Amino acid sequence: MSEKVFVLGGEQTDFQRNWTKEGKTFMSMMREVLDDALEKVGISYDEIKRLNKENRVAVFVGNFDAEQYANQGHLGAFLTEVNPALFGVPGARYEAACASGSVALDAAITHIRAEDYDLAIVLGVEVMKTVSSSVGGDFLGTAAYYDKEAKGVQFPFPKLFGKLADVILERYELKEERFMDALAEISRINYANAKRNPKAQTRTWFMNKEHAMARGGDNNMAVGGRLCITDCSQVTDGAAVTLLASKSYAKDYAKKTGRKFDDIPRIKGWGHRVAPITFEAKKQESVGDKYILPWTRQTVKDAYKRADLDVKNIDVFETHDCFTSSEYAAISAFGISEPGKEHIAIEDGTIDFGGKKPINPSGGLIGVGHPVGASGVRMMLDLYKQVTNTAGDYQVKGAKNGLMLNIGGSATTNFVFILGK
Amino acid sequence: MREIKTVTILGANGAMGSGSAGVIAAFGGAKVHMLARDVEKAKQGIEAAVASVKTDTIRARMIPGSYDADLEKAVAESDWVFELVAESYEVKEPINIRIAKARRPGTIVSTVSSGLSIGRLAKAYDEDGQKHYYGTHFFNPPYKMILCELVTHSGNDKKVTQALGEYLDKVLGRAVVYTNDTPAFAGNRIGFQLMNEVAHFAEKYADKGGIALLDEIMSGYTGRAMGPLATADFVGLDVHKAIVDNIYDNTKDEAHETFKLPGYFQKLIDAGKLGMKSGGGLTKVVKHADGKREKFVYNIKTGEYDPYPKFDIPFIKEARQKIKESDYKGAMDVVKKASGFEADIARYFISRYISYSLSLVGEVVDTKENTDGAMGFGFNWVPASAFVDFLGGPKETIKLMETSKVPVPKLLKDAKEGKKFYELGDKLDARSLFKG
Repeated sequence: MSEKVFVLGGEQTDFQRNWTKEGKTFMSMMREVLDDALEKVGISYDEIKRLNKENRVAVFVGNFDAEQYANQGHLGAFLTEVNPALFGVPGARYEAACASGSVALDAAITHIRAEDYDLAIVLGVEVMKTVSSSVGGDFLGTAAYYDKEAKGVQFPFPKLFGKLADVILERYELKEERFMDALAEISRINYANAKRNPKAQTRTWFMNKEHAMARGGDNNMAVGGRLCITDCSQVTDGAAVTLLASKSYAKDYAKKTGRKFDDIPRIKGWGHRVAPITFEAKKQESVGDKYILPWTRQTVKDAYKRADLDVKNIDVFETHDCFTSSEYAAISAFGISEPGKEHIAIEDGTIDFGGKKPINPSGGLIGVGHPVGASGVRMMLDLYKQVTNTAGDYQVKGAKNGLMLNIGGSATTNFVFILGK
Repeated sequence: MREIKTVTILGANGAMGSGSAGVIAAFGGAKVHMLARDVEKAKQGIEAAVASVKTDTIRARMIPGSYDADLEKAVAESDWVFELVAESYEVKEPINIRIAKARRPGTIVSTVSSGLSIGRLAKAYDEDGQKHYYGTHFFNPPYKMILCELVTHSGNDKKVTQALGEYLDKVLGRAVVYTNDTPAFAGNRIGFQLMNEVAHFAEKYADKGGIALLDEIMSGYTGRAMGPLATADFVGLDVHKAIVDNIYDNTKDEAHETFKLPGYFQKLIDAGKLGMKSGGGLTKVVKHADGKREKFVYNIKTGEYDPYPKFDIPFIKEARQKIKESDYKGAMDVVKKASGFEADIARYFISRYISYSLSLVGEVVDTKENTDGAMGFGFNWVPASAFVDFLGGPKETIKLMETSKVPVPKLLKDAKEGKKFYELGDKLDARSLFKG
């Protein structure tokens, strides 16, 4: 596995941008991000044309809900609008709610591993600022079991992850104050990290621990049980691209671009598990288990096993902090702490930027922003930056191996990838 | 990093005072003395500050006070005194005398002036005071507009300037642009040059569509969210006049004549039609009985307000479509190749804007990144250097300038072909400032 699929880099859009306000569309976003990614990686459209003649290149588009947000489907074919060099290139759209980027990555990895293609362009994209937040919240409800969990509910997802917070608190018999403080610290870390990331949605926003702790009132409204605005990632427009390659192509690429082949990171492991779709079923199923999200933990374990690595080998994590409660649960799923002891890893600085196991140096979904279908691809791009020492101001010193967890729904679709050299 | 724990804000109830105070109390975590003419006004300023940065956590460390009762005590315990009172020497100078008497050595004092001489205002202070006196030109609203022009004068100490710049950047999250003490500094000098010359062209082409036509020609596809004349209407014609008069009276550059206030601006100001804040100026919006709103535009010839016209200018439509699809170079190609007087005007102003921005490097700022930052972060206009790249590089831009008969700045003549001219790309994606 670890000698089969290589990552050549990519690019993301500035997640602060509001493309509707700019009078632009998801298609313009695709064009900009693909042009930028190819330029950054050093692969031209002529090279794509060359590979396409031999049927060695394909495109994989991750997107959750362009039908509702942009009234457009069939996105796999849409890259042909971006550049005529893509005429004829096999392409399809992949959807798994907020893990749409990962399911596109998974398909690309599988094809390269099977030696079907030498180069895979994985593009995650979502425009979300086309509608009001309440209409958007309803669209997002389709990532849950809409009829049972979202129909007629305002902002269903904060409520589902608010329930996760409730279950964590009850199951592990935590002191509420300490637990809520830990969630506020997760928020603080993500916003603080985002300040170093020039593409982050919240890089100019005000946030500190004091504000994250001040839950309630007009300026930090409750939106899902115990969870308030500061516990939530916020929707944004955005796209990200990563380019994956076979070993032979990566070797040629290294030669052509004057890079060292050994410096190109490879996918070392992956995990993919699907938990019961409703939160209530998840809760019932996990009774008696050490983990409240056992399938998330299993996905991480699968990836470690395939990579023949363990938590001690991972230097940096990118996790799906759609809400502070999801990042909280991920800490034990990664094996950083025992389940029920996550707050200690938060309190002692383990997951902070300068800690032993930094989580989300990019800022995560809370800090960078969460354009749903793009988040998985963005996480892979951030792992690439970290393990190639190209993350600039948010570089984790000496990072060699990175792990990402991208989830769809209420931790329903779970995807983990490990990238390293 | 310079430690700034206590700050005094003078003019705490104004939009700039409360907004800046909010930023300082939130990002800087500072205790802030909020001073206004009376305590009630200061309290209103505190609430406005809380609303601007949307956090209740700052309320407890903001202390209301009045100039009469609290100025000396507040200043004496402050690390930074930020004065944001009305924009005139007559108002600022007497207050500076009081601050100068009360400040401790080492305390920074700054003003938010958008055009007054910082060197002249600094004269109220002793040597230490002059060393620590600056212009900190925040833009409105401060939380959203992150530009701060840090204006220095000959009496400043480079080490203090560096420490203050670092604090504004790293702690308060400002995009800091360093400018010399010249009239209107960088952002307003460039921005109001364009706005005022566009206003003259509106007069020249009054028969063909005037104000509305010129704003259409200079609309989003030329790299700005709002037309230049709509911007003048938004900031207020009185403010516009104050800025261009100051530049006209105190500078002598190649664009000198373009800073003369157009006669119709003065007429509107005399009639109290100052822009949006007074219910009408270059344009006005009328709410009809059925609730529908209708926009009107001032007819320079007749002095009446006409219904705001719609235009159908093929090259603008085509350029907009290209921008909509993120083909920025394609859009600029359309502008370069189009024929007709509207296209000539568009080319002239694009050239003029780049030419004038780059010509100020050396006089107003030390590097082009400072003018680029001022326009990108302060006006949300595509910075001049980025335009050079979208136009196809220095040679192509020079060609355009020569056709439009505007001076070619040395910086551009010396620029290397084939290399990106815009260097702020990692901080500000200039593409986001074009509107399709």
